[in-house]
Amino acid sequence: MNWRVLRLEGVGKDFDRADGGVAQVLRDVTLSVERGSFFTLLGPSGCGKSTLLNIVAGFEETTTGGVSLDDMTVTGPGTDRTVIFQDVSNALFPWMNARENVEFGPKMARLSAQVRKERADRYLRLVGLDADGGKFPFELSGGMKQRIQIARALANDPDILLMDEPFAALDAITKKHLQVEFRKIWDETGKTIFYITHDIFEALLLSTHLAVMTAGPEAGIKEVFRIDLEEPRSPSNPDFAAMFSRVESLIDEEVQRMRAR
Amino acid sequence: MNPRKFFWRVLSVVVAFALWWLSSGTIFNPILVPAPHKVAVNLWEMTADGEILFHAWASLRRVIVGYAFGSVLGILTGVAVARIRIAEDMLEPPLQFMRNITPVAIIPLAVNAFGLDEPSKYFVIIYSTIIPVVFNTAAGVASTPQIRVRAAMCLGAGRWEIFLRVVLPSAWPFILTGLRVALGFAFMGVVAAEMIAAESGVGYLIMQSRNMLLPEQMFSGLFLLGLIGLVTDRAFQFTIGRLMRRYMLQTAAFD
Amino acid sequence: MYAGKLARLSVSILVFVGAWWTSSGTFFESAIVPSPVSVAEKLAEMIWNTKLFAHLGASFTRIILGYALGCVIGITVGVATGAIRLARDLIEPPLEFCRNIPPVALIPLVVSIFGIGEIGKYFIISYAAGIAVLFNTAAGVLSTPQIRVRAALCLGARKRDVFVRIVLPSAWPHILTGLRLALGFSFMGVVAAEMLAADQGIGFLIMQSTNIIAPAEMFVGFLMLGSFGLITDQLFRMTIHRLMRRYMIPLA
Repeated sequence: MNWRVLRLEGVGKDFDRADGGVAQVLRDVTLSVERGSFFTLLGPSGCGKSTLLNIVAGFEETTTGGVSLDDMTVTGPGTDRTVIFQDVSNALFPWMNARENVEFGPKMARLSAQVRKERADRYLRLVGLDADGGKFPFELSGGMKQRIQIARALANDPDILLMDEPFAALDAITKKHLQVEFRKIWDETGKTIFYITHDIFEALLLSTHLAVMTAGPEAGIKEVFRIDLEEPRSPSNPDFAAMFSRVESLIDEEVQRMRAR
Repeated sequence: MNPRKFFWRVLSVVVAFALWWLSSGTIFNPILVPAPHKVAVNLWEMTADGEILFHAWASLRRVIVGYAFGSVLGILTGVAVARIRIAEDMLEPPLQFMRNITPVAIIPLAVNAFGLDEPSKYFVIIYSTIIPVVFNTAAGVASTPQIRVRAAMCLGAGRWEIFLRVVLPSAWPFILTGLRVALGFAFMGVVAAEMIAAESGVGYLIMQSRNMLLPEQMFSGLFLLGLIGLVTDRAFQFTIGRLMRRYMLQTAAFD
Repeated sequence: MYAGKLARLSVSILVFVGAWWTSSGTFFESAIVPSPVSVAEKLAEMIWNTKLFAHLGASFTRIILGYALGCVIGITVGVATGAIRLARDLIEPPLEFCRNIPPVALIPLVVSIFGIGEIGKYFIISYAAGIAVLFNTAAGVLSTPQIRVRAALCLGARKRDVFVRIVLPSAWPHILTGLRLALGFSFMGVVAAEMLAADQGIGFLIMQSTNIIAPAEMFVGFLMLGSFGLITDQLFRMTIHRLMRRYMIPLA
């Protein structure tokens, strides 16, 4: 599909509370994500980042505003957008081995066994797990599971990867490796990434664009940056450090504001 | 409950009664399956003359006594099986065998041993109760997370304290599941026992109404059983929800 | 390790049989609890004159047919109630009530309607098994993790694919729990039905023994129930382990 910009326009989301009231989680979120960019949404915990991602994925409807690819409105889940979930134990299908998980999308697209096998081979190799295709998710470590989930998403050839804090539950070392590798995968595949995190370091390491959210409820967008840091990105670079403190102070402001309430 | 759901659920009950009403006299001989309004009249009459209360209380009294004994015995045995090596080795194989001998099959033996009076009913109910309670208790006690026990050890708890304050609380969700299942089994046991050998109780009421060709009375009895079962199960859940809530927090399984 | 386990098992059985032996005729009257020897003799006699096989055959035919029928109905209705909200609202209230009526209590009614033939017994067993299967199936279908469904939707699964490839496999562990419970209830149902209205089967054997004062026959009945219950349960578990292993992993 040929689209240029993923647009969120005036997106607002209310939830019915258990006590009968209404909680306004998101309010008037407007964003443009260009095709091929690595767009990161950064915000304090509980600010509605995941809700926004679920809306873009088409799992949840907006209360106001909408999401569109150029002038095509998003109305539900589609194979052009694939979500990488943080809760990888539930996201991978536990009764399918790694290869069967990766082949699931192509199978849904009714592709031939031959093509499915080729796809699985290719993407298992891309994530460095070509020897582990026969293993079941419970036999894989957290990092390996997340690699399988990435391979599974890529094997379906979506335009956009929607990533909901995919590495947040991993240990520091695994996380670092996966971040570097994933950045490489992005370079090679040229997918558009819509990435959610609360980790400033990760955001600066990976993204081309960064949107900082205000604290919820009624969360919105505080500021959007373009990140033009020297490649390969390194925290020892003074520009990186300067950017880090700038973003950190923005987040701190929001946390203060939330506490004051 | 939202109004939509309420509507469908009420409709569902209405449809069920309508189907019953239509089938009586058409598909089923009304001498076998009487119409609901006749059963309602019968239920009212039997309530008015105290017969319902008499039989319901007879069954309930038996269940209360038998279930209480069975639960206590079951919990003690279950704890022993899980905690004491020799108890596990000696008791588990025969228990695994006995759990397949359904309580109903025990009734003739109970009658032979204890006669037609109350003790034989108690025996059947205790037997029905004890099996699920033993196995659930043992599973619960055995499945206490090791980390939890070690945490308590580090904080200075002794063996006995660990058992009382860590192991037993961890096992409660399992024990309560066992007790709830056992409650259903206890009613099943008492009804079967009363059908085969008794002079009172809801099981007797049902059996007798067949022998005396009183179909309305049989349906009243069945309705009564459903009602008692539903009420006791809900009461059990409500009590647990009130008293044992803190032990159930980590398990969403209990509903 | 394995040898030790076997040794402990043997000791346990020996102790149990020993306790039974010494208590029979002393603590219990032997007319109520006969000695293991007389039970063994009776067992041999009933095998020799093939009476035992007639009873076992009758009970097993009833269980197999009734159980199969109950499971098919239970799974079908359970899936419908789990997956379709309207079906749940319409079917659940009467069933919630009925599940509290023990199958045993329905026997007189069933005998009135179907007579003392086989159909009534199938009905009782199907009812006993069906209720257990139904509620477990519905719970399983309802408990599919939302993320799993969403992941499949992202990958292009259609409604039907989601149901067949995600919801059903997620529900299997619950369904199998229901099927296993139902097996126990089937034994209960068949014994009760045979005790109250039959002229053959293990339940009949047990009930009959009190009328003809043959306590050893009753204990042969117990022995059969215990052994066959144990065997079928083990067989069930083994089959599951073989065939359904991949669906049980999430529970491990």
